[in-house]
Amino acid sequence: MWRSFYDYLNQDSTGAGIARLVISTLFVLAVWQVLTMTIVQNRMLLVPPREVLQAFGREIGSGAMWKNAVATVMAVGTSFPVAVAIGVITGLILASNRVVSLMVGPLLSALNSVPIIALAPLFIAWLGLGLTSKFVLVLLVAVFPVIVTTEAGLRAADKNLIEAAKSFNATPLQVFATVTFPYALPFIVSGVRVAWARALVGIVVAEFFGSFAGFGFAVMAAGQTFDTATLLTYVIVLGAMGLVGSMIFQSLETRLAPWRNA
Amino acid sequence: MTDRILEISGVAKSFPRRNQPEIVALRNIDIDIERGSFVSIVGASGSGKSTLLRIIDGLLAPDRGAVTVNGKVVTKPGPDRAVVFQNDSLLPWKTVIQNVAYGLTLAGVKWREAAKKAQYFIDLTGLTGFEEQYPHQLSGGMRQRVNVARGLAVDPDILLLDEPFAALDAQTREIMQTELLRIWMQSGKTILLITHQIDEAVFLSDEVIVFSARPGTVRERIAIPLARPRELDVKRTQDFVGLVDRIWKLIEDEVRASVRN
Repeated sequence: MWRSFYDYLNQDSTGAGIARLVISTLFVLAVWQVLTMTIVQNRMLLVPPREVLQAFGREIGSGAMWKNAVATVMAVGTSFPVAVAIGVITGLILASNRVVSLMVGPLLSALNSVPIIALAPLFIAWLGLGLTSKFVLVLLVAVFPVIVTTEAGLRAADKNLIEAAKSFNATPLQVFATVTFPYALPFIVSGVRVAWARALVGIVVAEFFGSFAGFGFAVMAAGQTFDTATLLTYVIVLGAMGLVGSMIFQSLETRLAPWRNA
Repeated sequence: MTDRILEISGVAKSFPRRNQPEIVALRNIDIDIERGSFVSIVGASGSGKSTLLRIIDGLLAPDRGAVTVNGKVVTKPGPDRAVVFQNDSLLPWKTVIQNVAYGLTLAGVKWREAAKKAQYFIDLTGLTGFEEQYPHQLSGGMRQRVNVARGLAVDPDILLLDEPFAALDAQTREIMQTELLRIWMQSGKTILLITHQIDEAVFLSDEVIVFSARPGTVRERIAIPLARPRELDVKRTQDFVGLVDRIWKLIEDEVRASVRN
């Protein structure tokens, strides 16, 4: 019985994936529950899962969850697509022109290694509280992984495939459209996946410092009133956003490049 | 009166290297090939065989000399030639039928017509039933069938094969050789095959051109008088073995040298 259950969990099917997720979630909840009953009994530090669930219900009932969701999703929903678009276009330019790439490359990697999050207070001072500063901060943290992977993906295109296309008298545009770009697509999506995780960090930090609504704001507000249950509620919601995004981009990646997993 | 489809005259090609003497890949190559014939070029590695093939296709420009196909000087790849490469050069995100039709769609042929033509060559190369598979789902032998079908689909006058079976195991290679002979007979194309397998060249060809290495030059042209159609058991005949032996002796020293390097 255990043996066949184990074999089931080892499968690649959707059902098995859900089963694995349920089991690991139950495990975390159990450990969490035990912790709150034994080691950490101070309710300001940690509350049991049941109280977080109650806080979740409270936030939904009062409309606070909705208000915060609108603020955060609006900001990420507008700036993340722009970040991806700018990232892909910049990556295209860098991949198509060696001189530009050599000139701009070091600058970009320098910017990429600066923790842009640290500039959040500065952006808020410049752009004020609200959507604009969130938009710019998310854009800046999310754009770099997309640029880097787009350029790398376009440069990685198989030379043999390019030569084959040329042997059929393909124009440079046809080589790009039928070989280079399809080859780069899964790379780009993996960059987008990384960018999504970064964007969520960016939005939370931006909302910490400069907003009156949003998940980051709610986490901050709950923390300041020692409302640990509400704080954890929003952290879990943010975690779910990250997980769902990551899963979507992951499946897109495997769909675009099935031969890599063969 | 012979009908020459391909004439190579005085072709030379060198590749410069930084801080080192340039590599002379080809020196003064003269070859002509008759329409409808099957000709192979054999030689040790480094004899410039693949370079010559790329020059014939128009992917590389010669330093001196010229290649003419159907009386026209080659300056770039064109619809009268198609290459079957040695490696996996199929598009992994396209199905078999899309890969076979690839050259046609690049030339602007509408999908319906391209698919119809592709289907003909899929059937000819023994790929029927695999139309919707992706290359990674196929064996190496099947992938090379797709490669051959893709080359034939654009209806070239001459098909250039660059060691097409080098990556296949010995048994699969023999099957693919007989298949290639059948396809050649049925399609009536001119085929120029680059290979380092002497028995493959002798088995398939009307004529074997032996290259010597560094710089690549034509060492000898050997007519293969074996009767057609040929079956695999011809490889066990005295005539066949004699021809293979003769060619091997011509390039043996160079092959030994290239193994040492």
